[in-house]
Parts: sequence; C-alpha cells; structure tokens
Amino acid sequence: MILIRTRWHLVSILLLGIMVLSRWQEANAQNRDQTSGISPTWFILQAVPSVSWTCFPEQTHFSFEWEVTPLLYSWGMTRLDPPFHFFFITQPERFTGSLELTLSTQLYPYRVGTNHWGFSGQLLAHLPLMDYGEYLGLNIGVARYAIAGNSSNYIVSGFSTLFGFLHYTIKYSPGNEIWMHSVEFRFF
Amino acid sequence: MIDRNLIQRIFLCALILHGSLLMTGCSSFVTRFIVKSVSDLPVRPESVTGKNAHPVFQHVGLSILWVGHATCLIQIGDKTFLTDPIFTETAGMISKRRIEPGILPSAIEKLDYILISHIHFDHLSYGSLSMLPKSAVMLLPDGSAEYVPEFGFSEYREMSSWTTFEADGVRITAVPVQHFNGRYGFDGAWMKSPTYTGYVIEYQGQTVFFAGDTGYDPEKFKEIGKKFTIDAACIPIAPIEPHDFMKYVHADPEEALKILEDVHAKIMIPIHHRTFVQGLDSSLTTAQNQLKHLVDVRHWDDRVLILNIGERKVLVP
Repeated sequence: MILIRTRWHLVSILLLGIMVLSRWQEANAQNRDQTSGISPTWFILQAVPSVSWTCFPEQTHFSFEWEVTPLLYSWGMTRLDPPFHFFFITQPERFTGSLELTLSTQLYPYRVGTNHWGFSGQLLAHLPLMDYGEYLGLNIGVARYAIAGNSSNYIVSGFSTLFGFLHYTIKYSPGNEIWMHSVEFRFF
Repeated sequence: MIDRNLIQRIFLCALILHGSLLMTGCSSFVTRFIVKSVSDLPVRPESVTGKNAHPVFQHVGLSILWVGHATCLIQIGDKTFLTDPIFTETAGMISKRRIEPGILPSAIEKLDYILISHIHFDHLSYGSLSMLPKSAVMLLPDGSAEYVPEFGFSEYREMSSWTTFEADGVRITAVPVQHFNGRYGFDGAWMKSPTYTGYVIEYQGQTVFFAGDTGYDPEKFKEIGKKFTIDAACIPIAPIEPHDFMKYVHADPEEALKILEDVHAKIMIPIHHRTFVQGLDSSLTTAQNQLKHLVDVRHWDDRVLILNIGERKVLVP
C-alpha cells in the first residue's frame, strides 16, 4: 500500500514538475509565434501508429505502437528554440541531442503470452552521430516494459536513421537476463 | 571518421524499405521520384573545372556567383551573402547531386549573411551549414527555428513577411512567395502559417531579389515589384514535371519570366535547376533549354543571364 502511494506521489510530482517547467518556459520564451504546434490535424495524425518488429527470446512479434512524449529537454537547437518541450516535438529537437520521457502502448495482433497489449515508459537520451542526428543517431536509456502481464526494467540502446523514422533498438533486462531487439518505423 | 559512402550504401536497403512503405500510401509521383532518385544514388557528380579558389572580392559593386541549385554567392560592396547553401552529395539522403558545387565551402573566407528560404532538405542542408564561416548571421523564415540545429553562427533571426533586418547599412526584407511547408512530409500538415520566404537585399544602392523556391503568384510578385527597384533577381525555373502538382509550388521557365516582369528586375539569374534530381523532368537541362528558347524568342539575352555552375557575373564593378 505504501509502495503504491509512493508511486502515485512520484507521478504527481512529475506531472507538477512538467506543468511548472511549461509555465516557466512560457514566461521566458522569446517573443515569437509558434508556426507549428498542437492542432486538430496533429491530434488526428497521432492516431496513426508506428510499427515495429520485436524479437523476444522465443518469438518475433509485429506490433502497432502509440507513443507520447510528456517531456523532452533538447540541447542541440539554436537560441530561438526553447530547450523544454511538452508533447509536441519536431524530429530535429529530438535527434540533435535530447533527453526525453516517453510513454507508449503496443498492440500485438498476435498474442504475446496472455494478451495483446504492452505498455512502456522510457527515459531516453538521443545523441547525434551524423548530420546532427538526421542521418544517424545513438539512443541510450532505461525503460520499464509491461508485456504479457510481466513488467521488468530494461537498459535500452540503439540507433536511429532516416531522419528519426527508422530505429534499431536492443533491450536488456538485468533482473531477468532477457535480451530483446526491435526494428521500428516511427511516424509521428 | 565514419565513411559517408559506406553508410549511404548500408542505408540504401533501409531506404528502399521505407520507400516501399511510402508507395503504398502516396501518389505515383512520389513512388516514381523515389525510384528515380534511388537509382541515381551511385552516380558520381559531374566535376566542375576551374573552380574559383577565391570567390570573395575585397570590394565589388554587385556580383553573383551561381554555386548550384538555389545557392548563390552574392556580393555587394564589402558584404557577402549566401543563399540556401547546399554543398553535400545528396539533398536529404535521397535526391542525388549531379554536378559538383561551383566552389568549395572552404573558399568562402568571409561570409556576412546566410539566407534560408525554407526548411526543405535542398535549402536547409545541415551538413552544408556546418562547413561555413561562423561569423555569419543566419536569417530564416518565420516558424522554422524548430528545425534549425545550433551551427555556431553569430546570430539567428526568424523573418516573417515584410519584416526587415537592418545592420551596418544592410537591409534584408523577407517577402512572400508561394511554396509548401514541412521538411519530412507529414509535418507540413500541422504548420499553421507559411515557413517559406523570399528575400530582398538592399545595400549601397544595389537591390537583389532572391526568390528561393516558389510557384507563380502574380499578386505577390507585383507587390514586390511595387515596393522595390530591383537590380538583379535570382528566380527558380525547375522542376517542371509533373506539371499538375508542380505549378502550385515551382515556377517553370515561362512563369519565371513572368516573375521577372512582375518584379521589374533589370537582370534575372535562373536558379534551382541542373544540380539535383528533382521532380520528373526528362533531363537535368530540360528547364534550361526551355528557358533558352523563350529568351531567344523575346531577345532577352542581355536580361536573362544563364550561368554555368561556378560562373560569376560582375554586374556592377
């Protein structure tokens, strides 16, 4: 019970922190109009899933994935672009150098273990390797995956290319000594 | 250092896979363009002989050097301006350069301003911008800062239409043109206003219009013509095909001449042709040949200067 309460406290603190950051950034932002941002079109396009093929220890599974990024800190952009971003992120803000918190859900058309759904939260750093990360970037971080009713912590690393659309990721769970790797096409 | 050619070959497979995904959801124009571009990737760019090793004058009235595509090295007095710099072998990994750049980026010893017309790969080239002198001021269309990494330039400035940047007697005004938003395809869908622009440079009594990449919109260009007395205009003439799509976003040679008339420029230098695989034009010289024919018919040889890549024209000594 105490553990659950602590988790909810952590989530609340995190959300509060994001809101404070958002307000702080708004107050400090340069006087410029955002040409792009969250709009009805953006919302509709978020419904289009990314696709991935994940090699589990025993089988390879195809999945659809929907991802949100509540918070991203970017350090590779010019002074015109603020460093903190909330939900709306352009590709260069991510792959020119960033640290992001992502939450995602996966739908496996063919059941993995007992169900079709997977959930994950990731804290991921993106480091540019070629052409400011647009051609090639290194991703490294930690994640918690809940798949087939089991949840575990993973160390995550991989490469992204094609302007951040194509990803290859290796995941390792030190607790369970499980290796997984996946190829992903991320559209939005 | 990582070998770019090796990486390019490795990514070719990924590219074809990605392209095939696009084919399922996009028009046949996109499919044909990707297939055409990918098949050209192994071709080496044609070399340019006699590249100018010192393209920047100490002082000149007005000169324009066509580096290729929409990249022009414009010099007025003691100031140097570079438009949409691209020196890389591909534009966005896919579109292949067919002729080398007219000068080496390292030859540009002094650069005051970089003008970016929009965020497409062939106009905002990350690899090319990283090669340029850091003393420059970079001007961008409004709303494009979310797409511009830190290159280390002295200043960055977003410009909305009809706003003017002024410094040391230089006036650069962003002017409206007609093109399309986005960099990666999908992202254009959620942009709220244009992230593309042209520029008018005024310095020491000379005025140069850089149209960037544009379709033909008589209202916009006539307005520019009313507000400025333009000495020279760099106007795009390609790609032409498929015309039903291109006519909204790219001027063909005939429309480029209409732009020239609308802005009342004394001299036109055609740009945005011959350099990269773009559109579905039958050859790289299709647009240039069409323009030559139109110029011959109108006897405008002294008004339309068709430069070779790497060629410099001193308009005012």
